[in-house]
Amino acid sequence: MVDLPQKKVGIIACSGEEIPEGTISRVAARKVLDCLMPGETVTLCLPLFLAGDEKERAFAKSYPTIAVDGCGKLCAKRATEKYSGAVSGSIVVDKFLEERDLSPGSSRRALDEEGQQAVTVVAEEIAQQVAHLLGSRSDTQRAPQPSDATAGGATCCGGPTIPITRVKIGGASVGLLALEPVFEQMYQQGHRDGAGVDEEILKAVRVYNFVPTSVEQSYKETLLKQYQKFCRDREG
Amino acid sequence: MSSADDDKVLIIPCSGIGKAFGSVGREATYVVVDDMRPGETDTLCLSLLTLGDEEAKERVRGHPVITIDGCPKACAEVNVKSAGGRSAANLKVVDTYREHPDLKVQAVLDLGEPGRKLAAFLAEKVVAEVDALKDKEDEADG
Repeated sequence: MVDLPQKKVGIIACSGEEIPEGTISRVAARKVLDCLMPGETVTLCLPLFLAGDEKERAFAKSYPTIAVDGCGKLCAKRATEKYSGAVSGSIVVDKFLEERDLSPGSSRRALDEEGQQAVTVVAEEIAQQVAHLLGSRSDTQRAPQPSDATAGGATCCGGPTIPITRVKIGGASVGLLALEPVFEQMYQQGHRDGAGVDEEILKAVRVYNFVPTSVEQSYKETLLKQYQKFCRDREG
Repeated sequence: MSSADDDKVLIIPCSGIGKAFGSVGREATYVVVDDMRPGETDTLCLSLLTLGDEEAKERVRGHPVITIDGCPKACAEVNVKSAGGRSAANLKVVDTYREHPDLKVQAVLDLGEPGRKLAAFLAEKVVAEVDALKDKEDEADG
């Protein structure tokens, strides 16, 4: 039986060096990763979107992502959307604190008491957004494990790799997350070429991928063919 | 950009959030900018360069820049280059660590005493680069 881990939420902090709010975004993000939601969150260095490769840029496609920005320039949100994919949540620290009549403190280097308090409330807000995203995806809480028969992977600093397989659907090349582990799971569950298998595959693929309703039929047909090939390969 | 800002050296660390060496680079930057060479140096949000902010790009094009990177991806150096700037020097945290292997960094958020010492050693290297740049400027000015 394939062991299926929980899906995680990605957190991208601006870590802005010039202002205390940048440090607050950074420290709050790490607090969520290390203390509040360990095992349920992952992160990626923001500048790695530009310096990294396709795997790093796939981050926001692999994970529902929350951008944490220090100021209204929204570097984390905008850079994530520019290089990787749409974010699922966004927090702008200066505005967030102002709305709660809180101060970011005066030091960008070593946070003072006000800065620490700001970190606490921002981290709690991030954690709430993470919980909301995981809760609203309760049907996706058990997701496939990577296998070694993959064409690529979506990586992050702190999380496991989710494999990406490229498939031609309706004449277009589409990168699908976790396709091989989905096939592996279905194979081990005894699904073969019977009625409703295409529905089952599509349901499992949708755990990790957005499938527009308009192309649902093309996905079902292509994925069924791919799965039949997978079964033939497994059976020699 | 004010005229007083014109000849400042920009120190830009990667501030990597996933690895403790990113925090060492960030701390070393603050040691230089706030304590060792205030008035002669400044820092810039690297995320602004990643986003392609025009004002940030203008600053790195118009100033000498020293980058500090925490891992081989060299995000600080790559982002500065992509913005049209050039690192007068690129320092890798790991090189300073190799010179002081006893200074083990505690964690990303809390460097611990050894991590802070490592940042201080790195800051000395940055300051040497800043001073060398300033000397060159002085020579050029006659």
